[in-house]
Amino acid sequence: MLTRSQASLSFVFKMTLREIRASWKRLVFFFICVAIGVGAIVGVRSIIQSARDALLRESRALLAADVLVESREPWTEEVRAIVNARLGTVPVLDRIESVETATMARPAESAKAVAKMVELRGVEPGFPFYGELELVGGATVTPEMFADYGALVRPELLAQFDVEVGDEIIIGDDVYEIRGVVLVEPGHQLSAFSLGSRVLVHHDAVVQSNLLVFGSRARYQTLIRIDEAHIEPLVEQLREDVEGTRLRVWSYHNTENRVSRNLKRAENYLSLVGFVIVILGGIGVWSVTRVFVQQKLRTIAILKCLGATTWQLLSVYVLQVVVLGLGGSLLGVAMAMVALQAVPTNVVAGYGEIAYGLTGSAVVQGAGIGVLVSLLFAVVPLLDVRHVRPLLLLRGTGPRPSGQIDWLWIATVGSITGALVSVASWQADSWRVGAYVSGGFAGVAVALHFAAGALVRIVKPLSRVAWFPLRHAVISLGRPGNQTRTILLAVGLGSFFLIGVRALQVNLLEEFSLEMREDAPDMFLLDIQQDQADGVRELLEASAPGKAATLLPVLRGRVTGVESDSVNLDSTEDVRGRGSLGREYVVTYRDGLEENERYLDGGPWNDDPSITEVSIEKSIRDRFDIDVCKTIRFVVLGRTIRARVTSVREVRWNDTRRGGFMFVFRPDAFSAAPHSYIAMFRGPDKTDARGRLQRDLVARYSNVSIIDVRDVMASAKEVIDGVSLAISAVGAITLFTGVLILIGSVAMTKFQRLYEAAVFKTLGADNRMMTTMILFEYGGLGAMAGVIGSAGAVLLSWTLSRYLLEIAWNPAFTQNVVGLVATAFTVGGVGVLSSLDMLRRRPLVTLRAE
Amino acid sequence: MIELRGVSKTVMSGDQPLTILHPLDLSIPSGQCVSIVGPSGSGKSTLLGLIAGLDAPTTGEILINGVEITALDENAMAGVRGSQIGFVFQFFHLVPSLTAFENILVPLEIAGVTGGRKKAERLLEDMGLVGRAHHYPSQLSGGEQQRVAIARALANDPPILLADEPTGNLDSANGHHIVEILIDVNRRHGTTVVLVTHNSELAENTDVTLAMRDGRAERLEVVRPRAGDRKKSESAV
Repeated sequence: MLTRSQASLSFVFKMTLREIRASWKRLVFFFICVAIGVGAIVGVRSIIQSARDALLRESRALLAADVLVESREPWTEEVRAIVNARLGTVPVLDRIESVETATMARPAESAKAVAKMVELRGVEPGFPFYGELELVGGATVTPEMFADYGALVRPELLAQFDVEVGDEIIIGDDVYEIRGVVLVEPGHQLSAFSLGSRVLVHHDAVVQSNLLVFGSRARYQTLIRIDEAHIEPLVEQLREDVEGTRLRVWSYHNTENRVSRNLKRAENYLSLVGFVIVILGGIGVWSVTRVFVQQKLRTIAILKCLGATTWQLLSVYVLQVVVLGLGGSLLGVAMAMVALQAVPTNVVAGYGEIAYGLTGSAVVQGAGIGVLVSLLFAVVPLLDVRHVRPLLLLRGTGPRPSGQIDWLWIATVGSITGALVSVASWQADSWRVGAYVSGGFAGVAVALHFAAGALVRIVKPLSRVAWFPLRHAVISLGRPGNQTRTILLAVGLGSFFLIGVRALQVNLLEEFSLEMREDAPDMFLLDIQQDQADGVRELLEASAPGKAATLLPVLRGRVTGVESDSVNLDSTEDVRGRGSLGREYVVTYRDGLEENERYLDGGPWNDDPSITEVSIEKSIRDRFDIDVCKTIRFVVLGRTIRARVTSVREVRWNDTRRGGFMFVFRPDAFSAAPHSYIAMFRGPDKTDARGRLQRDLVARYSNVSIIDVRDVMASAKEVIDGVSLAISAVGAITLFTGVLILIGSVAMTKFQRLYEAAVFKTLGADNRMMTTMILFEYGGLGAMAGVIGSAGAVLLSWTLSRYLLEIAWNPAFTQNVVGLVATAFTVGGVGVLSSLDMLRRRPLVTLRAE
Repeated sequence: MIELRGVSKTVMSGDQPLTILHPLDLSIPSGQCVSIVGPSGSGKSTLLGLIAGLDAPTTGEILINGVEITALDENAMAGVRGSQIGFVFQFFHLVPSLTAFENILVPLEIAGVTGGRKKAERLLEDMGLVGRAHHYPSQLSGGEQQRVAIARALANDPPILLADEPTGNLDSANGHHIVEILIDVNRRHGTTVVLVTHNSELAENTDVTLAMRDGRAERLEVVRPRAGDRKKSESAV
């Protein structure tokens, strides 16, 4: 005889195995849902963790140096002296200078009418200290490649200019010979969106060029190689030395941390998507467990009658869920493993080729979440096992406790809610995000739940129509133990994601195409010097007769203080503490408003010349609580200016004909000061003419940079398409999960439906009638899910367009209708296909079994 | 020994209380075979359910071999059911996901009996079901299912076997076979058997018949007197 606890354990394990043997087919769809979510989590985490590990193994190459000192302004003698003095106190192994700026390049061959913006970097020999410049063909970089105006370029520039190694290109007024094609550059992450292609030249060539003129944007860097032990003390000391200046100092440890942090953040956010899919699977688990317990009532009563205790039986079913959850999770891990084989090695943009494989931490996290979510969602319906009385076997139904507060149920639901928030927070690595995601999900689920209830009530009157298939389809939606809400929730969420993303994509593309229409400028010229302004204007207007070129005077300035009752920022540090208020702003001056502006508060300038006046954009007021009559301290051109806010303007940012500025000054403040211009212009439509214009401009004014909006748009469209594809894939996976839940729900309620179908058939219903009924029921469910998804998508696209992207909103009618119809057909089709065996089965077989 | 002292059962019918079993005192000595007969709704199954501890009485107490089961909680009662009572239902109530063999094995496993498989095999053999051991309930005839249910009820050698219309869902041949088995269990093993039945053949083979009507015990009739029994005909209980 076994001891009581041994017997109990043995019974629980044996019954669990038997129950799994009997029930796994009914539960398989839901655990595939769990598998998909787990697969997404494991896949995403593995990719990013592999990338992070690979990158951190060569973390010095991320910076190309041990320590980097960077300035956004040309080095002043004073700052240089401070840095040199400090470097003189430590054993520096090596140091080189680097300067980087965005500028124009063009082929030297005059027949080629093309000019493009490039990201030019001038480096001294010895660059990089760590990592390697990898060239096409495996060539080694030598100092000779940079000597006498040699340049290394990216492959895309060769294609754009139709040039090859040995040909010449012009940057500024200097002619460079292309001596190599660079594939990988340490210290430079090839982001998906940049202003231009990278060109590497000698540092001195850039410094001696006419590119670094007044107002041009450049980064001046000193790269330092030093022993590991000296790195952090040096960084600390340098930071103290240059405090109060605009110099930034950091080591490869900081870069390592930053890259690690960025990738970690990406990993966490993407994993949340997987978590949402697992939660969907969890909803399926909850739904199926509810039906499952209903179908197991008699078995539970029998086992209780044979002496099994409630806790033994609860353990049997909980263990069953855990085993199947683990099975689903392992399936998910296997799916991720297969998927990783197909992932391109450069999928993490900008970090080069990396081999991806499953990581232990990702597998543990994914599988843990799969099991945990399955368990959490199954426990509440399983608690009903407690209320099953063996008397059920004699009387049909056992008594349920009534009028009593079920503390165990309340405690379980509370614990599960807490556990889900914790898992979401764990996935996002933030309690706040975890709470938002859980709250958002709960909100959407509650909204969908009520919307589903409302829709079911709306169609209820149809249950009185005379047509049998329609009447019974509607009745079926409200039958006891129906899966209507579960299906609406799962499929509704899937279609919500898909339609929402499509609608948002339409809005984004519409916004960009709007910019390209009418007389919106499609060329932006930067760094036009005062003596170049008239010439540039003439050239622009000559290229497109009848079109006026707008040149706006610009200066760079920083806010160094705010004086007001509500906000008092005394020092630069205080201003920096307010985030983006401390950044460098491009400011302008003019008499009044532009066409794309209106006053929200205050008005035109006063005539009192003793006071400098400034107008601020609405977002400055909203974000930093700075209003009319307050005084802002600026440093412009090294001079401190106190300016009183006389108006708050609203700029229509989607109308760029007249630009948009956060700060606009009264003209007399700066009209006599040195400044540069920017120009906005509607360039020629033909590609050749645009190329010629850019080339001519650059040939005459080599320091002027031109941003061709059409190129930028093409880049932006690629990015949008990529993001849309990624989000659509998530939506598709979610919808697929929803369809699986749908199939599972149909399968779970099949027993009930089989009996009904058998009765209907006995009473004379033929298969055609039954099929029509099913089609109506599921097609109707699909249409309702589509309505819910579509309504949610409209809300999502409106909210994101209005508040996040700040673009005009378009309801994307076609996408909504197509999404709704497609959802209805999908669900209807799945409903009929899942019910095929019910249609084929002879009624007597079913009735005998009952 | 089964003892009922003032046991009654009242349920709510809508807003009104409805007494489905009026206060009853009954004593069933060990080894006796008792049949409870009466028309539908007379309270037979309610009484059986109360004896089995499947339901709790509204008043009174029930003692099984000296243990007052009405004072036990659900888990303790499950223990009593597992060790003291075997129950056979009219509709068999086998676990559909388990084979015939496994259905018999379950109470042995719950009780933690070692060598349970051998015992289950022997019971299958006793019931003439050797060839059906690995069939699921849906693959068995009604008679076979009921024999599996009896084997399951006897698995832990309970001193008490309760049966609710065990032949009610069977044809006469199968019903006759089940009657023989139940009587045999009582005669050979000395198991106390209490059964609810409409089957006159079955009732005639029991020691005592308790007739019920409208929730009251109408009469207790000793059909087959045993040593020490006094013939009571039409006597109130």
